[in-house]
Amino acid sequence: MNYGYCEQALRINLTTNTLKTEKLSQTFLKNHIGGRGLNVRRLYDEVPPDVDPLSEKNKLFIGVGPLTGTLFPGAARVNFTAKSPQTNILGDSNTGGFFGPELKFAGFDQVIIEGKAKQLSYIYIKDGKAQIKSAKHLKGMDVFETQDKIIEELKDKRIQVASIGPAAENGVKYSGIFCNQVRAAARTGMGLVLASKNIKAIAVRGTQALKAFKPKEFRKLIDKMDEEIRNHSEYDIRIRLGTTKLVSSLNKLGCLATRHFQTGYFEDADKVSGEFLEKNYKKKEKGCFSCTIPCSRYFEIDKGKHKGLKSEGPEFEGLAGFSSRVGVSNIEDALKAIDLCNRYGMDVISTSECISFTMELYEKNILSSKEIDGLKPTWGNSKAVLTLIEKIKNREGFGDILADGVLAAANKIGKGSEKLAMHVKGLEIFQADPRGIKGYGLGVAVATRGGDHLRSEPWFEFMEDAEEGKRRFGHPEAAFRLEYKGKGKVVKFYEERCVLADCLEACKNTLVNMEIISFKEAAQLLNYLTKFTFDEEEIKKSTERIMNIERAYIVREGIRRKDDILPDRFLNEPLPDECGESAGSVVELGPMLDEYYEARNWNIKNGIPKEEKLKELNLGEIAKELKDLS
Amino acid sequence: MILLYDLKIIVDNVEGFCDLPMKVGDYFTVKGGKIEIPNDKHICLWALQSIMPIIPAKQREIKEKNDWIPHTKYLTCPDPNGRVIFRIDRIDPTTGEVINSEKNIPARIQVDSEKCTGCRACETICAFVHTGNFNGIKSKIKIDKIEKEGKDIPYVCRQCGDAPCVKVCPVNALSRDKKTNAVLVNNDKCIGCKKCAQACPFDAISFTDNNNPLICDLCDGEIECVKRCPTKAITFSNSPGGDQ
Repeated sequence: MNYGYCEQALRINLTTNTLKTEKLSQTFLKNHIGGRGLNVRRLYDEVPPDVDPLSEKNKLFIGVGPLTGTLFPGAARVNFTAKSPQTNILGDSNTGGFFGPELKFAGFDQVIIEGKAKQLSYIYIKDGKAQIKSAKHLKGMDVFETQDKIIEELKDKRIQVASIGPAAENGVKYSGIFCNQVRAAARTGMGLVLASKNIKAIAVRGTQALKAFKPKEFRKLIDKMDEEIRNHSEYDIRIRLGTTKLVSSLNKLGCLATRHFQTGYFEDADKVSGEFLEKNYKKKEKGCFSCTIPCSRYFEIDKGKHKGLKSEGPEFEGLAGFSSRVGVSNIEDALKAIDLCNRYGMDVISTSECISFTMELYEKNILSSKEIDGLKPTWGNSKAVLTLIEKIKNREGFGDILADGVLAAANKIGKGSEKLAMHVKGLEIFQADPRGIKGYGLGVAVATRGGDHLRSEPWFEFMEDAEEGKRRFGHPEAAFRLEYKGKGKVVKFYEERCVLADCLEACKNTLVNMEIISFKEAAQLLNYLTKFTFDEEEIKKSTERIMNIERAYIVREGIRRKDDILPDRFLNEPLPDECGESAGSVVELGPMLDEYYEARNWNIKNGIPKEEKLKELNLGEIAKELKDLS
Repeated sequence: MILLYDLKIIVDNVEGFCDLPMKVGDYFTVKGGKIEIPNDKHICLWALQSIMPIIPAKQREIKEKNDWIPHTKYLTCPDPNGRVIFRIDRIDPTTGEVINSEKNIPARIQVDSEKCTGCRACETICAFVHTGNFNGIKSKIKIDKIEKEGKDIPYVCRQCGDAPCVKVCPVNALSRDKKTNAVLVNNDKCIGCKKCAQACPFDAISFTDNNNPLICDLCDGEIECVKRCPTKAITFSNSPGGDQ
């Protein structure tokens, strides 16, 4: 019987066409909790340095957590992990929807995909077994069509499909793996890894039982959490607007990524906001598996040139990415751009960065229209945006340059464009301006998968409560977004909260941003759910352990303190006057980094985890390996 | 015992445009075989022809306690532009008092697929409280998701009055709970013929691996899916409004 964990992994070798199940030990599961933890540990152990991410030697790990598939609100998530072909370091991306729970019901905590199939194939996992099927007929199909087609041919409407789109097949570096049409594990190019293995999709169906070891106690705690969620001050707005609430709220703070971060204030934010979307296009609320605070939506455009466009979504990152970031004031054009990215299977953050980067280079005469295939990508030119998306997807003309990501594109273009590429470690950064949210700035700079906010989400800096700042992080400033003191500790704390969410495979909206469960309650939940015993300190230690494994992994790939950096603009160009309270602000990264490494007990000079820290976390072997490196 | 009710049929609301015009508050009465229209009032022929068939039924006492006729109170004019909504009040001819028959409607599950987010929290809690297993495959409520249309449709027993599933069962494996009115399944008697599912007008019956029907038992009164649904897409009430 499966109590929280299935205690087994499925290993699929596509080169030898062999499938086997592997028992997962109690120690392995307890030390790494689930999902992201299981995956990064295996990545560290099984994918040594110097592996070409697009070679047969790279492996893709799919992990779910102990809560996935249970009553826990929004325990829907699943992590996809591999060496990233976009950044050459840690590749890791997760998504909600229904794929994760179904994998759990099929009897696995983890799936390991290695080797390469001889021809385009898809994997069908059902109830502890799997088969490789031909996907020749799915070649070139978009994400939506692929999923529909597989569900149709396997004749079971409850089948869940994770698939790639044409962007991955064409070699776009930031192509993702998509579930339930729009649920995207889109960061760090996990779709391209799947494509490199000749796998178009993974279908999964599970009818196996999943139970709680102490059902009454588990239920009671879940009821308490449902209650906490319902009574939370953000409950209503999250259901109404979800993450799209951020367009107007960040704009008010003067830190909404606008025209490629030239400013933090978009004068037409009201026309592209979550509120505007709700009023004019939203049809109803949508939710992930078992979620009691459904924050997604379904929209439809009833008239105009995009009449008939309907889809679940969008989320904030796509919405701002294809409006303020590229200067587009027409929300319908932004929705169209997002829809194309979803269908082609591309990351909206990386895509919108590559396009807004092009726009700034064009504005600054670094690129001529001729070099951009005759396009004139001025701010707000949504036709150019849509054309560039097509070109990237097809790797055609200038799209071929952008399809490698903004860092590679800048290196190819040269002429000072490198300074304008908004990435960290080769991963494009999100739609908020770090100058107005400095803790986020630090989080993005040190994130183990490169420039990304979802590794830390230090929302605490919006608290504006000096007492709380002092009490929790030793500095009153820690609770204020425009201050930098205390942020090292804040980021460390929230990084570990994010690890907890990604290992339990629950939603960060509740676990991190709403701080729904404490580490103590997490231990209680797992004690009631699984056969194992957890305690608060152990779980905290495990989250820190996973952070250190990830850091050790990227250190082994060559990452040092010098790489924990933000694009020059955020460090040296103050936000302009129209940005309200954020005006004049830059990110004081140096002192924040010092504080962060100190909090982590990593070497302050090079950012390598200290031997004593690794040993304290039972990572003696990793300590030895890192010692050889330094 | 009342042999025939009197009826008062009143314009309750006009949602569209009626050019006769019928106005809110206009009414006519039915007494035995007679229609009475007050002085200087009128009734639109178009609306009347659609209300007419229900009149004899509304005049009569219906014994079956779950029959829909006693609770049907609102009818609308068939003109899509008109949308004149009529309310039918039953009147006791001996006292002249309006009889509120809606309050006698047994409460039942109602679903609104426009509100359903498709999260399947209902399936998870249903399966868990009935079997200890989180897997929604064991749930008595099922959500059908049509992703490309954004549709999420709950399938669950609505506690029909004259339940066809109960009637069609050849071995009397289905019965009604006296307290909650839920349809109860006796798995020992069930022969797995699936006739109940064929008879169900709501396609609400799915089956276990052993071909036993999964039919909502209203959790013996504490209905878990209703409590857990975050958008009130599933409700349990005796409101006369129908399903969406």
